[in-house]
Amino acid sequence: MTELELLDRGYSAIMAEVVDGARAPHFTELAADLDIELDTARELVHELVGMTPGWVHPGTDLLASFPPFNMQPTQYHITIDGQGGWYAQCGLEATAIRWLVPGKTVRIEAPCLCCGESMVLEMCDEDIVSVDPEPMVGYTSAEIGGAADSRPFR
Amino acid sequence: MNLFRSEEHAKRWSGYDAAMGAALKPVAEWADIFSNPFFRQRGRPDYISWTRTEEGGAAFKELRSHLPRPAEADL
Repeated sequence: MTELELLDRGYSAIMAEVVDGARAPHFTELAADLDIELDTARELVHELVGMTPGWVHPGTDLLASFPPFNMQPTQYHITIDGQGGWYAQCGLEATAIRWLVPGKTVRIEAPCLCCGESMVLEMCDEDIVSVDPEPMVGYTSAEIGGAADSRPFR
Repeated sequence: MNLFRSEEHAKRWSGYDAAMGAALKPVAEWADIFSNPFFRQRGRPDYISWTRTEEGGAAFKELRSHLPRPAEADL
């Protein structure tokens, strides 16, 4: 069990790198960043994804999802103040990205899973700047934060 | 956990399950749920510690109270 202070530092370091550069650090990079042993960093990654809740690619130590972001591309393309490169973990978590980039406009662009037609949602801090089309809805077929082995598939 | 162009589009999706009908909400309602401090506080340097404080626990409890569950669904 990793001590709380290290969990805080690990979470913060990973999130900062994802927000800044749209990529998650490998555990070897995290080890260097936090000045900890490689095995400690590897375990830290696994422990953090269990808490967030995100996931690593099955059978690896590679961060695939660190909510609200996804390292593996999803249909939820994210642009922050005009700069692209991020993906949201899911359509609902996409609406929470704005809290990590205060004062910036987050644009969520995705195809509808029913018809493939485009949808665009723009948010900035407390405001929903635009919704296209207007009756856009969110839906989940499974409980949020449910079983870890189903997270990438719902 | 997906976005759809409208309620009708969501209901026509192959993954739609009527047992989770309560989870079909306007995007503005979901955006409100995802405004809980549990999400807003993710940028703080002590986020994991914060989730274990009284304030973090209260936020999580509040969040859970707004998340749809199958038992609440329109069957």
